[in-house]
Amino acid sequence: MALSYLSEPVPIEQIAAGLGANGLPYALPLHPNLVHFTIGLFVIAIAFDVAGALYPFERRLFRFLALPVTRAGLHDVGWYNLLVCAVISFFTVAAGFYEMLLAQPIAGVTSALGLDGITTMLWHGVGGVLLLLLIVLMTVWRGLQRFRWRRDMGRQVQWLYLLAGLALFPLLGLHGTLGAELAAEFGVHISADQLLAAGRDLREALP
Amino acid sequence: MFQLLPPLNDHNLPWMDTIHPIVVHFVIAMAVIAFAYDLVGVLARRPALFEVSFWNLLFATGAIFVAIIFGQVEAGLASPYGGARAILDIHTTIGWSLAGVLSVLTGWRYVLRSRDPQSLPLPFLGAGALTSGLILVQMALGDKLIWIYGLHTVPVVEAIRLGQV
Repeated sequence: MALSYLSEPVPIEQIAAGLGANGLPYALPLHPNLVHFTIGLFVIAIAFDVAGALYPFERRLFRFLALPVTRAGLHDVGWYNLLVCAVISFFTVAAGFYEMLLAQPIAGVTSALGLDGITTMLWHGVGGVLLLLLIVLMTVWRGLQRFRWRRDMGRQVQWLYLLAGLALFPLLGLHGTLGAELAAEFGVHISADQLLAAGRDLREALP
Repeated sequence: MFQLLPPLNDHNLPWMDTIHPIVVHFVIAMAVIAFAYDLVGVLARRPALFEVSFWNLLFATGAIFVAIIFGQVEAGLASPYGGARAILDIHTTIGWSLAGVLSVLTGWRYVLRSRDPQSLPLPFLGAGALTSGLILVQMALGDKLIWIYGLHTVPVVEAIRLGQV
């Protein structure tokens, strides 16, 4: 479909010759691999702060498991994992936007959530920036609690902080589902899907 | 007996989406970051990071067994074709091996931590580096299955069902 306001070919055509079957100048997309770190580190950071907050109830369990544990140790995991998560997530979002600019969602597909390709992509892009902002704000909040407000307290985090962290889990899940649909339903940056959409026979094109 | 099994959707799965790639977040991120904390802990003389590393490693070891369970079910429903068959075989072999490697590494770490939580011997750091390397190889193999061969993606499942692959 030609866009009437464009006199030149669409921007992606200018570099199309240098792109592989997956629509990228390299073999495997970067963003989904960085996502492992963003999601893993965030979820585990919150989980260990919850464990630190509920420490008085768990002490007997850890003793039964012969697993020596300190409350400060659990909260250290909550702090450092979140800090690393915030840093890595800038690269996750940057790689995501680079790869989104080169993305070609298969036309005529409606996702399990009832959205078309470009709508799914736009929400995933906007949601990614929003989540990065929330992760950074959570990290600042966590740092203030650790180094200023609660530095002399056993429980290093406020209950509200833990609630906010847990509330972000379903948001991350929904956001991840949009990203998974871009791959598994719209075939974005998947060689086999793009080849099939181009009418190629995988037995010859992808032996 | 087979009619007792849940029906498969357009991803050839009994559930909405692949679960294995979600569970592996917690193996990849936790095991690799554990090594990073160990490295910084040794180089910058920050022994508090050894404790952070230990918990992440312990979590990665628990998570890999869940990852393998879902990985086996979803591999069984993947209908790999062409080059994906050999890749899935190696991915499966390394996956099971990693469960053993991570378990031994965590057991070793538990003993080291019980003796002296403030120091980390260099051989453990070396073992952690090798394990992280193995995890990166395993990630690349899993990436190929989805990003090149598109296993469990709707277009590929459709082509397989139509006998076109």
